[in-house]
Amino acid sequence: MERFAELVIASVLLAGLYATMAYGLGLIYGVLRIVNLNHGGMIMAGAYAAWWLHAALGLDPYLSLALVSVVAFFVGIFTYRLLVRRLPRGAAGGVQSLLLLFGVWLILRNAAYLIFTGNDHTLRTSYSTLAVGIGSALVSVNRIAVFGVAILILVFLHLLLTRTYMGKAIRAVAQNPDSCTLVGIPVERIYGLTFGLGTALASAAGLLGSTLFPFNPTFGGAELLKSFVVVVLGGLGSVAGTAIAALILAVVEVFAILVIPAYLTAAVGFVLLVVVLVVRPGGLFGQRVLG
Amino acid sequence: MKVPLPAWVRPRAAIGLLAACVVLALVPLLNGAVYWHNLLTLTFVGVAAALAWNWLGGYLGQVSFGHAAMFGVGGFVAAQLQLQLRFPMLVSWAIGGVAAGAFSLIWGHPTLRLRGPYFSIATIGVGEATRLVCTYWDWFTGGSSGLSLPMRSNLKYELYWYGIALAALAVAASYALRRSPMGLSLLAIKSDVDAASDVGVSATRLQDWVLFLSGLTIGICGAFYASYFSYIEPGDMFGFDRSISWVLMGVIGGIGTILGPALGAVIFILVKEYLIASYPQLYLGLYGTLLVLVILFEPLGITGLFLRLVRRRRPDLAVTGMAAED
Repeated sequence: MERFAELVIASVLLAGLYATMAYGLGLIYGVLRIVNLNHGGMIMAGAYAAWWLHAALGLDPYLSLALVSVVAFFVGIFTYRLLVRRLPRGAAGGVQSLLLLFGVWLILRNAAYLIFTGNDHTLRTSYSTLAVGIGSALVSVNRIAVFGVAILILVFLHLLLTRTYMGKAIRAVAQNPDSCTLVGIPVERIYGLTFGLGTALASAAGLLGSTLFPFNPTFGGAELLKSFVVVVLGGLGSVAGTAIAALILAVVEVFAILVIPAYLTAAVGFVLLVVVLVVRPGGLFGQRVLG
Repeated sequence: MKVPLPAWVRPRAAIGLLAACVVLALVPLLNGAVYWHNLLTLTFVGVAAALAWNWLGGYLGQVSFGHAAMFGVGGFVAAQLQLQLRFPMLVSWAIGGVAAGAFSLIWGHPTLRLRGPYFSIATIGVGEATRLVCTYWDWFTGGSSGLSLPMRSNLKYELYWYGIALAALAVAASYALRRSPMGLSLLAIKSDVDAASDVGVSATRLQDWVLFLSGLTIGICGAFYASYFSYIEPGDMFGFDRSISWVLMGVIGGIGTILGPALGAVIFILVKEYLIASYPQLYLGLYGTLLVLVILFEPLGITGLFLRLVRRRRPDLAVTGMAAED
């Protein structure tokens, strides 16, 4: 029973990170109809940025979060303006954008190998080993902090998308870009902003992840797949749907350790993806992921 | 003697393929250098694999980033059959290929049914998960120390001709998959699944078939590779680099064209041999840069460049049906 409580707490805390990770991917997919394969690259970049700022300047990762996200936001806008914008829309553009953004990911990964080598890095702060008791379970302070920050990010996003002009414009473009042009919404600019937001979310998730797990230049690959699982499970656009889907993935992953050998957990997310696609292709809440 | 050919086979194409095979088959008899022998054999495997990748990535527009999973399954199944059960080489290749094709259906069947990029994303996970699981399953792959196959003198030399046969079969299959009536169905599925099914094209069945054929061919390539090097280990067979290399061969040569990926494979292997071998720490970045540049400036790769030249010289020649862009 004690073990059970521990696993439940672990899944809930992990779900916060997964939701942040997935929301960036889902946002770009929902608005631009593009799967940002460089999502994995930006998760990795966020982790290394946090590590470097901590090692070189002594900046606490939670303080550097704002800086890293803002920089990643502009990197995203730049990626959109320089590369993604030039691709045709529609079916051909779909395949091309996959390949193009995959290329960008490879370049980022190579840069990480050159600068930081292929060895595992870990980000250790003074509070990395602190833990508090919740009931009978002992929980790392860091995990709680990551969860808290992830929730704050999601609340901020929800408010941004529902209460501001920019958020409303983003949602409108997701529904129908042609009508948006008619009523004077600058669709191209909204695309750029959305790409920037999604990229910023990826790097923020990478930064949060770097405080929990060791990482190397391949970090982000498994995370991309998990984000995709959450997006498929939760449908697009709803923060609540994403949160529930992230919780499901986290619970399945954490509890899988009880019944299968540890080396198979890498395949858990994927099996879940296939099961969902077969049983409920529209996601748990009935929205079609593709119109 | 008149050879009966289906109406969609142009005699010139069939003769060209035969002539190329004959010329290549004679090369080792004229020039015995081991270096060229080796490079050419690897090119044949590359050509066959790149074409097999293109059936999915090009003809159907379902890009796979994890084909190394089938390469490894084919290689290790064939290796185990030869080691444990003493199966003859060709039989074990065939069974390895079928196993790889079946494996691709297990995860591909559900993901191919859905529109959009599900398949591509799933392949990233499949490649990684298969590599991890197979590295742990040492009863199957020998773990990270790998497997050694029985060696036979002269085998490496003979495999050159098997390589030609493999590549020629893949070229013939690429031609058939595009030019036969089935090729038209594949194009229809690629451009509009709904419209295709309205006119009676069964997208699910055809996509599964193409996936199976692609997995089968890649699996046989893996089995060939295992016999050729007589030593295989999972990190190399299931490697991510291997999957990307086929993506690149397709993109460089021209995704969706019949012969583009074969040309892409030749170029890729030459570039790898002469350029990347000297800068091993930069190869991922080079691959990435190539991908970005080709997609931005010439999405049909070398074939696209070629078509552009032809059009400039002879504007009256309307080159259609070859380009698979929507």
